[in-house]
Amino acid sequence: MGVKSKSLISVAVPILVIVAGLMLILPLANALEHQRPKMPAAWVDEDLSIVGGRLRGFVFGAEGLVADWYWMRSLQYVGQKVVAARDGEVDIDELTALNPRLLYPYLDTATDLDPKFMAAYTYGAVVLPAIDPDLAIKLTNKGIENNPESWRLYQYLGYIYWKLDRYEEASQAYATGARVSGAAPFMQLMAGAMKTQSGSRDTAREIYGQMARDDGDAQTQYYAQFRLMWLDSLDEQDGIRESLQIFKQRTGRCAASWNELLPVLKNVKLPYGRQFRIDAQNEVVDPSGVPYIIDNDKCDVHLNYLNTKVPTR
Amino acid sequence: MELSNEGSNSVGRILAIARNTFREAVRDRILYNLVLFVLLITASAVLLGELTDGQEARTIVDLGLTAVLIFGTFIAIFVGVSLVSKEIERKTVYSILSKPVRRSEFIVGKYLGLCLTIAVNTIVMGVGVALALIYVGGTQLVVPATLCVVLIFFELTITTAIAIVFSSFSTPALSALFTFMIFVIGHFSSALRELASSSSSQIARLVFEGIYYLLPNLSNFTFITEAAHALSPSPGMLLGSSAYALLYDAVLITVGVVIFSRRSFK
Repeated sequence: MGVKSKSLISVAVPILVIVAGLMLILPLANALEHQRPKMPAAWVDEDLSIVGGRLRGFVFGAEGLVADWYWMRSLQYVGQKVVAARDGEVDIDELTALNPRLLYPYLDTATDLDPKFMAAYTYGAVVLPAIDPDLAIKLTNKGIENNPESWRLYQYLGYIYWKLDRYEEASQAYATGARVSGAAPFMQLMAGAMKTQSGSRDTAREIYGQMARDDGDAQTQYYAQFRLMWLDSLDEQDGIRESLQIFKQRTGRCAASWNELLPVLKNVKLPYGRQFRIDAQNEVVDPSGVPYIIDNDKCDVHLNYLNTKVPTR
Repeated sequence: MELSNEGSNSVGRILAIARNTFREAVRDRILYNLVLFVLLITASAVLLGELTDGQEARTIVDLGLTAVLIFGTFIAIFVGVSLVSKEIERKTVYSILSKPVRRSEFIVGKYLGLCLTIAVNTIVMGVGVALALIYVGGTQLVVPATLCVVLIFFELTITTAIAIVFSSFSTPALSALFTFMIFVIGHFSSALRELASSSSSQIARLVFEGIYYLLPNLSNFTFITEAAHALSPSPGMLLGSSAYALLYDAVLITVGVVIFSRRSFK
């Protein structure tokens, strides 16, 4: 074999191997994607294999880091459940249908490892009532026990009791929190409000408004903003209903369009000086910017359940 | 590096280099990491009963197989990047290449020698995990864990090939860094593909798809979580993954050979 052909082979063979190899890898890579066996459906809900409390001392001082991991895992866990259920309607105040039964163990483990982990207690106080209110109370009481100087935890405990319509205990929680050094003045006001007007929309607005102003936790703020949107929407729906009744009394029929109703609606006052919002098509929109729907048969109004971001319950 | 006279043909010379590479790794006490692994797995078997809630077997699979992967990856990276550079530094490469040994045979032999070292290491660790599982009564996980060890070995052969490619033209420190980065990216390959499919830009999609196919998809060999749930890889997955690894190894080693063949030692 000549020097020239040897040199040609030394170039051609590697090129051939590389090109042929890559060309074969392509379909193989695609085929392998479908070869992986499916994990059992319940594997995301499998019991935690590590008992968090016993990890203390075994992680070489990295308890905080491991607690962070459990905390992040708890966020992802609920998030994945919500994403998986995106085809159905998710009620943020009733998450038992998603069966997120590992949320409490995750948060309990995180707070076992770091008893001062306020974000974990806060998240538990906001989300756990929608899953298991007793566990929400248990976790918040654990937080109070470990952080007696934190009035915020009393605020959350009061909030959980209020959601459960246990106004006496809610009032007690707010009152106890008000006695903690540095507590915000509204804690004492809430203690009173729970006794006098506990079920009112104004009380709810006050509670969610305080939570939305809590600059310590973005999750809580996010949830509270949603609830405030819901309250605004309830006020707006009441105003639209009132206009529909006025229109019906005047004409003997229900308003067929927003154009017919708008002149009447202009005279209706919303609480706290708020105004109805009207879009470019002259339709009244909810706080998330989606037009309300007039139900001509019932002469009533409701949210556009398919598109709105306002909680429907 | 000694090269016996037995290598009269190409295969014989490659095997001789591979055997010497393995002996060198043993002399360099590379396999001492097994002592550490045995200590880890023994301690796990004894202590996990305290830490876990009746889930010792599952945790041993998670911990043991992750250790097999990490220990193996460190060996593949740090030994792989120094295989060629050490020979050049000590100038022993001159005495080897002055014999009737082709540069391609040198690279392939070195690669196979390190794969043999990693194979011994992985087998011993795999046996350790299996024994620990039997000790804690998790015998149903022995087969899935063993098959998972096979997949890990194939992944390590790719990591070794990457390390050798980089070491054929770069410094050991940079080669180790590059190899480690490819190892990390390789485990995110699937995410890269999802990113490509969700991207609205055609160019970005092409770039991500290109990277996905060009870089090794090491998640093909990741089966630890599934093994901990007593799931075994299907024969199709085992065959496909091993074929994928062998093809990738062949391409990488060819690239390494081409680069090393054109390298000047002056």
